Amino acid sequence: MASQRKRSRGESLALRYAILGAWALFCLVPVLWFLSIGLRPRTEIITPQPIYFPTFSLDAWHMIWEDWPMGKYLRNSVLAIIGSVIIDLVLAIPAAYSLSRFEYRGRDDIGFYILSTRMMAPAIVAVPIFFLFRNFGLLDTIWALMLIYAAINLSFVTWIIRSYMLDIPKELEDAAKTDGAGQMRILWEIIIPAILPGIITASVIAMIFAINEFLFTLLIASTPDAYTMSVALANFTGGSDGVIYNAIALVAFLAFLPVFLVVVLIQKHLSRGLTMGAVKG
Amino acid sequence: MSNPELSDAGAAHAAPVQPTQRRFKRRSKRMKTLLPYMLVAPAVLYLMLITLYPGIFAITQSFYHVKFGPWQPAGFENYTRLMGDYQFWGALWNTLVIGSISLILQCVIALALAFYAYRDPWVQGWRIIFLIPMLFMPSAVAFIYKLAFLDGRVVADLLMRVGLIDGNIAYQSSTWLSRMILIIADVWQWTPFLFIIFVAGLQAQDEEVEEAARLDGASWYAIFWNISLPMMKPIIAVALILRAIDITTMFTNVFIITKGGPAFGTETISYFIYRTGFKFFNFGYASAASVIMLIITIIIAQFVVKRAFVSARA
Repeated sequence: MASQRKRSRGESLALRYAILGAWALFCLVPVLWFLSIGLRPRTEIITPQPIYFPTFSLDAWHMIWEDWPMGKYLRNSVLAIIGSVIIDLVLAIPAAYSLSRFEYRGRDDIGFYILSTRMMAPAIVAVPIFFLFRNFGLLDTIWALMLIYAAINLSFVTWIIRSYMLDIPKELEDAAKTDGAGQMRILWEIIIPAILPGIITASVIAMIFAINEFLFTLLIASTPDAYTMSVALANFTGGSDGVIYNAIALVAFLAFLPVFLVVVLIQKHLSRGLTMGAVKG
Repeated sequence: MSNPELSDAGAAHAAPVQPTQRRFKRRSKRMKTLLPYMLVAPAVLYLMLITLYPGIFAITQSFYHVKFGPWQPAGFENYTRLMGDYQFWGALWNTLVIGSISLILQCVIALALAFYAYRDPWVQGWRIIFLIPMLFMPSAVAFIYKLAFLDGRVVADLLMRVGLIDGNIAYQSSTWLSRMILIIADVWQWTPFLFIIFVAGLQAQDEEVEEAARLDGASWYAIFWNISLPMMKPIIAVALILRAIDITTMFTNVFIITKGGPAFGTETISYFIYRTGFKFFNFGYASAASVIMLIITIIIAQFVVKRAFVSARA
């Protein structure tokens, strides 16, 4: 009996590592292969027979910096993303404070309205937003990107921060209140320091979604003035030469590395952030 | 002479101090009831600008012919044409087919992986490895799969070497093979999203219940099916809804990999709106399609999403 249980546990352990290992391979092989695309000359990418052991070359690396305004794309991405995260925090922190700390009529409906904007498909609002920005002369500027990224992310930044605020014990606040502190001072001096992990998590996830955003950027940015990395990739086509894959691969990794490092740092909070606070990881 | 006048004026100012103070008090009480609204208002106004305004704009525009010149009133013509447009219905159908297959695969795989990983000593390591695809830009992922399946023919070549197929695969002429590329790309990139949430959900559950069931001789399968899964239900619902929202708006992969082809077989609703609006500049028609999508979204949000988020919080 005991040996039987032992054996079945051993078997399931082998099965466990077989399954997890298989998925890990499935995750990593395309990534490593794409890295090899980035580090090979263009002539070895699209060939009659795929080349599995290419010659090493930094052609693409020189190309993205010398032939394209990659620095500009990078700057556009960074500015638009940082700006959008700042807008989000300025709007979301007071909103989350209101939703988590006050009792008032219509509160839950307002909260749900904020949540529901996350469900809006970009394509639904794309046409009107395009006209709106055109009327304000904002097409093809990073200001437009900033505003739109902020709008896309505002709902879940608010909900993540709200979820963290709900965790703060009421006593902490009551103590400050008896000391005569006003609502805004409580928010600034007690609540915000206490939910800093939540604010960071929300900012990181907002950053990822902003880097990934494609449709709006494609419509708003029509010249390299406002291209971000995400959309610049789609335009890495050398006309009749076709898509320039090795440059695309290198840019993809350039954008991936900082995101990966930051996400590893906030790993513990990720599940909570991704579900807008519905799951406490 | 001016002195008494000044002091008089001073007295006149000093006299109504008490009433102002009372008024101030009343005002501060009103401030207190208004404060939460004022705190939440900027965010709500901002979101209205980006949702309500476009909604009204789209509804208005959907009753006009909007091409290059001035708007021409069209009545319900955009809608009646849309109802008879097989490409619109095709796009809805494609979104549903690609989305549901993709979502089911992701859910099953993520549950299985989470089940095997959550008590593994290296769960952190697995999580980091599995996360990697999710952290690439979707446009980059689209190019990975475009190259692997179409331009670079790597997948076909590998399958040929293993002996599974002889000759090339004609993705471009097969609707289902093209849909399969979109599904594989989506599963590869977004299964980790569900995996991370499911692992957190499994780790958060009460281990004692499970231990008790195990001591009673329940198999792992029974424990998973009868204890873990029901406890995870609200979490699974929230995660699937968030994923479903993103899948139904699938655009990037279609734009880069298939362009909606072959024969509109992979055109999703987002791509349909993009194509009619921004490629054929038929904005009124695109708006009509947007309005129908909007109505579907609102219905789903009210009935499905609200309930899921409320039950997850409880």
